Amino acid sequence: MRSRFAGTSVLYLFLVILAILQLFPLLWVFDYSLLKSGDLFGPELLKLPLVPQWGNYVRAWVDGKIPRYFMNSVIVVASSVAVSALISFCLAYSITRMKWKLRPVAVATVTMGMVVPIHTTLLPNFLWFNYFGLINTHMALIIPYVAFTLSFNTLVFMGQLRTLPRSMEESAFMDGASWPRIFWSVVAPMTGPAIVTVCLMTFLNNWNEFIMAYTYLSSDELRTLPFSIIKFQGAYRSDYAIQFACMTLVAAVPLVLYFFFSKRILAGVTAGALKG
Amino acid sequence: MKALFGNGRVICALVLPGLAVMVFALVVPIGFSAYYGLTDWAGFGKFHMIGLANYLEILTADPVFWRALLNALILMLVTIFIQNPAAFALAAVLSHLPARFSRLLRTVYFVPAVLSLVVITKLWVNIFNPTYGILNKVLHLIGLKSVMISWLSDPRTALGAVLWIILWQGFGWALLFYYTGLMTVPSEIEEAARVDGAGWLQAHLRVIIPFMFPVISAVIVIDVISSLRQMEMIFLSTEGGPGSLTQFVSVYLYQKAFIAGAYGYGNALSVLFVVVAVGLTLVVQRILRRNDDAQ
Repeated sequence: MRSRFAGTSVLYLFLVILAILQLFPLLWVFDYSLLKSGDLFGPELLKLPLVPQWGNYVRAWVDGKIPRYFMNSVIVVASSVAVSALISFCLAYSITRMKWKLRPVAVATVTMGMVVPIHTTLLPNFLWFNYFGLINTHMALIIPYVAFTLSFNTLVFMGQLRTLPRSMEESAFMDGASWPRIFWSVVAPMTGPAIVTVCLMTFLNNWNEFIMAYTYLSSDELRTLPFSIIKFQGAYRSDYAIQFACMTLVAAVPLVLYFFFSKRILAGVTAGALKG
Repeated sequence: MKALFGNGRVICALVLPGLAVMVFALVVPIGFSAYYGLTDWAGFGKFHMIGLANYLEILTADPVFWRALLNALILMLVTIFIQNPAAFALAAVLSHLPARFSRLLRTVYFVPAVLSLVVITKLWVNIFNPTYGILNKVLHLIGLKSVMISWLSDPRTALGAVLWIILWQGFGWALLFYYTGLMTVPSEIEEAARVDGAGWLQAHLRVIIPFMFPVISAVIVIDVISSLRQMEMIFLSTEGGPGSLTQFVSVYLYQKAFIAGAYGYGNALSVLFVVVAVGLTLVVQRILRRNDDAQ
């Protein structure tokens, strides 16, 4: 028994060390965001911020234009989450429930959306969006953000819809309910968990997206949050503490969301991917 | 129920918005790329149709393209043969722990996966920094005083450093996939194997892994796709350098089109990239399916 106990202790110790290693980089950034820039060049790995330099955060907030970028992110991401969830739900419903000839084509398109590397559309979409005057507007992000989350979301909804019986819709139909009514008061309530999953995943993906935002937007007024980190690199090259404060602020939103919804996120991540 | 589930107008209303967005943002652009890939357009001014010249050059005289594919392949292999087994083993351990402790650990291990790649990348760029980066400090602490490596620009370490960041961020995903998969394994299967005298390791190798094959296949397909897809991380750390040692196709086509002014060439790269990605995914899926049938 004794050796068994020792073995278990070693195992637990190993697991905890691994967890610390996984979190350490974040802790490091947070730590130095509260210190002076010069402290970074000392020999310590971590240093207790005896006099926390909250001023770093104030400067990151103000000079990094975080409130503006934050609002832009909210606008772009909230719209894309709403639109993507709605139309992927419709698509999934028509694929799993309805009978129509071109269904295989729709399934193939959805599958293709999972496989095609999204970055291959960067060059042509720049021209194509420009043709419609969309470049340097938020629409240039909302459209691809919807398009590139559509496949995953459709698969998640398909997975959920397959587990639900059709009898509810059928009896509602018999009672003379209209389609919008069937959708809104019969189907939607049953797919609650999938809706939460889809919204969270779409939010996280799009909140963190950088390269399209960097490519399709050129005016500072419209930029989204991840850009603030890049901006600081040019303007405050040696002001590391402010850069670190900025990184902490940008990381905060997904972390808070994750803290509250970790159970749903962890369950949701695997739902679409493994069933598809 | 044909009137309910076969209503043509309702089907159109449900399908059209989704398909329209996909066609607008995914299908048409690929068509655009196919067209501009046949030209020598610089992104402005006049251009000529030059047939397959771009493709010919990429395939026969562009070492960077091949290097980028090689890097994706290396990433794929490292992910599948090193990261995945590690994640699987950890998931197997976690699945036997008390529920609360296991949940806490899974939550922690997944934290890097929810963060923006910009944050992750910049964080590691700082860790790898030769003068103030923490990695060199750690090496100094354990006695290697003379070490002064610029991890991301030294040709000996650059690819390794870049791959490390990607593997670090992806670890939580792999762990989560395998953990979820393991939860679907009926406990009787493992117990039966144990009764037959198999140890913990043997039970996993002989019974549980075969049972989990569909999950493992799905994760491998995801790994193949995501290995090809890498972009932001490279774009924000090494930009493919030193030389083209850490180059990936997405970064390369971006640089060609928007920085080197070879828009036509960049589009040809895009088209080839789509072909490679779709082709490789289909091949891998087919191989995995055949293995699945064989069992």
